[in-house]
Amino acid sequence: MIDYLYDGTFEGLLTCVYHHYYTDKAAGIFPREEYQPSMLHGFMEVETEEDKAARVYEAIEEKISGYALRMVYRAFLSDAPGKETVILKFVVLGFRIGPAIGSLHARPEVYELEDLVRKVGNERERMLQFVRFEVMEAAGAASGTAPGAAQILYAKIEPTCDVLALAAHHFAERFSHDPLIIHDVGRNKAVFAYEGDWYVADFDGIHLPDGTAILQSEDERSYQNLWRTYFDHIAIKERTNPRCQKNHMPVRYWKHLTEVNGLTEPV
Amino acid sequence: MEEILMQKLQILADSAKYDVSCSSSGSSRAAAGRMGNGHMAGICHSWSADGRCVSLLKVLFTNKCVYNCEYCVNKRTNDFPRASFEPDELARLTIEFYKRNYIEGLFLSSAVEVSPDYTAERILQCLELLRYKYGFAGYIHAKIIPGVSPEILHRIGLVADRLSVNIEMPSSKSLAAFAPQKKPKQIFAPMRQITNTLIETRSLKGPGTMFKGQRLNTEANYLGPMGLEENVMGQADESDPGADLPVLARAAGAPAARGKGTFAAAGQTTQMIIGAGGETDAGILATSENLYRTFKMKRVYYSAYIPVVDSPILPDKQTAPPLKREHRIYQADWLLRFYGFTVSELFRSGGENLDPDLDPKVTWALRNLDLFPMEINTASYEELMRIPGIGHKSAKRIMHQRRFAAVRFDDLKKMGVVVKRAKYFLLCCGRYYGNRLFEPETIRNSLLQMESGLQLSMFDNDWKRIEEGERQEKLAAAGVI
Repeated sequence: MIDYLYDGTFEGLLTCVYHHYYTDKAAGIFPREEYQPSMLHGFMEVETEEDKAARVYEAIEEKISGYALRMVYRAFLSDAPGKETVILKFVVLGFRIGPAIGSLHARPEVYELEDLVRKVGNERERMLQFVRFEVMEAAGAASGTAPGAAQILYAKIEPTCDVLALAAHHFAERFSHDPLIIHDVGRNKAVFAYEGDWYVADFDGIHLPDGTAILQSEDERSYQNLWRTYFDHIAIKERTNPRCQKNHMPVRYWKHLTEVNGLTEPV
Repeated sequence: MEEILMQKLQILADSAKYDVSCSSSGSSRAAAGRMGNGHMAGICHSWSADGRCVSLLKVLFTNKCVYNCEYCVNKRTNDFPRASFEPDELARLTIEFYKRNYIEGLFLSSAVEVSPDYTAERILQCLELLRYKYGFAGYIHAKIIPGVSPEILHRIGLVADRLSVNIEMPSSKSLAAFAPQKKPKQIFAPMRQITNTLIETRSLKGPGTMFKGQRLNTEANYLGPMGLEENVMGQADESDPGADLPVLARAAGAPAARGKGTFAAAGQTTQMIIGAGGETDAGILATSENLYRTFKMKRVYYSAYIPVVDSPILPDKQTAPPLKREHRIYQADWLLRFYGFTVSELFRSGGENLDPDLDPKVTWALRNLDLFPMEINTASYEELMRIPGIGHKSAKRIMHQRRFAAVRFDDLKKMGVVVKRAKYFLLCCGRYYGNRLFEPETIRNSLLQMESGLQLSMFDNDWKRIEEGERQEKLAAAGVI
């Protein structure tokens, strides 16, 4: 038994699963930076290898199911500590049982993974709900090009799980007319989407990949004010219920929500 | 310009906020080169201070009203700021909000300015601009004003995802008392037209799982013109729901609307006010059940009456809105649409109102304890759905796992069953886990104890204190009085 340390990538994790079968049984899998050496097992740093990762990837899809593979990937996007070991246990059980694993909701290996998947799914849902775009213009573009052409939708968000890629398709499809950027501030990366296509890349929040800076458009402020006004006036005073509001819209998202003015505490 | 728009938005949002429906579900539309799309499950984008979700931009087109409905904030004799949008102005505002991901679409209702047709034409103009000029493919919910002509209604249906005609009051008696200018006939005519057009376009889906497995888009479900109001809104206490409803085969030669694009893909809904007239819960739910069975509506919404205007015939301004009652009625409504219950079952042998302290399913189970405890491993899906604490998800999981392995008590929690409530009503592998005497009173007490400890209420528990005198202060502080 041995603890495997990996580099934090999905491929790295799959490589560790490979080593579990072909090198030494894994006691657990941990990200390299966060590992605290254990008294019980030795540890080994695993070099990520594409071909080994690909073999595990395909094996999960063929021997368990495509659904299981998607679950594993979603669970990997979670921010919960120990997710790697949960995934390992699920995959090991899956190789023994096969596709039927999807219906064994009460097995701890399955239940724990489903729990992670559910939380990641919820976080993705919250992205669809709470992303707030600002209409931006590329600096200097206003004079030369046609008006409207240089419009960019830009949103900042800090999701707990790494769900940018899961939410990207929804936004890319919905707002295919305008280029858009959804910026995960905590992870310094962003989705860039235009005309239905999208990719994820590193982003500092100021400069576009081609080096131009982006600035708020002229009427952005007034639409934000209109939205805040609407938000205040749609509430029925006699039914005021802050607990219900916060249950649905946890305060940790308020920072980037236009209608609550980026407050961190309700007024 | 911005300031004028700001004022209009304030006034027309204030006037629209008592409309309850705000869902954006039930319709899926690809962007296909336009701006936006429909998301089948709907998306809530925000929650206002009252804890209600904001999914659509909910505004009135105008609040200048020729009607004088007693309960309504926009009644003609109420001294209240008035405004109207211009069609293009509202369409642009919707687009700009939508683009910023503030909303899923537009919920457009209106007061009656000049006449129903005049107002409806303005609404139609706005919606057509939004769809055709601005290429908006998001969600549109349009409120239909009673008395509107069938041609305009049809055109609104072609651009909207969901249509609703407010029934306003649960009985024709209170409708006559509180909204004398709205006639039941005017309300039911558009409802009937919508249902019939949905049948013609083969898109009638029905409420929840109420008509699961049945074919709804047949001529047999086509609604005839006669007698709707008596059947739906009558004193429906003893009458057997579903009996003698006026269903007619389509008259030969009536125009079929197939192939003309989608018509209100998300179906129709309605809403009624709770606690203004003297109706009982049983009466209210009987009306809803009739609406579901007759018009196959997607949903009936309920709105706890909030005294916004002084009126000699309505509860006075100090009355707290009956939020708890509204909540229990919604729960019962879910039992009708998704759990296979009927209203007569819910109220059999036990008063005219729902128990305010326990949810309607528990109340029903306690009154029918002879059916319980049910063995989880042999009960049918329909029976599982009747156990308090089990919903459709957990029932499906139980059915599924049972094919491979017996479901043990410890598994239930992981399957999403609310074990602390369900355990009094079930057996697992032949064993009862309730730990108490199997009597209605004992179970009731332990459930009540559990729930008071948990603060089950969705609402601010302050209401009780507020009823006792602090309401005035709170309202004053909030700037209402």
